[in-house]
Amino acid sequence: SAKPPGALISQQHPLEHSWTFWFDNPSKSKQAAWGSSMRPIYTFSTVEEFWSLYNNIYAPSMLAQGVDFHCFKNKIEPKWEDPVCANGGTWSVSLPRGKSDTCWLYTLLAMVGEQFDHGDEICGAVVNVRPRGEKIGLWTKNAANETAQMSIGKQWKKSIDYDGPINFIFHVSLSFMLFLC
Amino acid sequence: KLPGEYGDGVMVKKYSRDFLLKFSEQCTDLPDGFEPTSDIEEAFMIFNASSRESH
Repeated sequence: SAKPPGALISQQHPLEHSWTFWFDNPSKSKQAAWGSSMRPIYTFSTVEEFWSLYNNIYAPSMLAQGVDFHCFKNKIEPKWEDPVCANGGTWSVSLPRGKSDTCWLYTLLAMVGEQFDHGDEICGAVVNVRPRGEKIGLWTKNAANETAQMSIGKQWKKSIDYDGPINFIFHVSLSFMLFLC
Repeated sequence: KLPGEYGDGVMVKKYSRDFLLKFSEQCTDLPDGFEPTSDIEEAFMIFNASSRESH
């Protein structure tokens, strides 16, 4: 028998926020300005939609070198120029090539599952795939809120089971390392 | 502050890692109606698998 309208939706688990996956392979268009090759993939808002995408997308270890793969809250572009990100910063962890898959998944799960006390301060996450390794970045909204940044950094390390150092860079001054955690 | 709240007391939909992982195997198909365009298809396993087979 036919299901009533909305039956499928009601069985799904809604997330607190809608999130968008973004894909960028700037190495395919070296002449273009940074960010011009960035493309939104899909915006999801349920647990089920997240897995439907994640299960069909390559993990970082299988993506081509040079690729940037993002997961940001809907309507926030993964660019420092985005007004929401402009005064924020990035917590980042660098891992050897092919060793970031679990950290990336756990980062995504912590974000979409709202596991951060200051989750409203989070913009999204990115994994940069490079020849020497992968770097995962967790972008925040307001770098001046040191309490929130430190809380996010500590909870992120715990959520990805990472014991090494991570650092925080303020977007407005990229060469300035603001915090260590 | 109670579990499931932000600092300002607003309730949020929190899901633990273990809870989320339970749904992984149930959701293996792309979302209905979603067809990746050519400029993002290299991120998707299905396109690269078919590409390898065709060469």
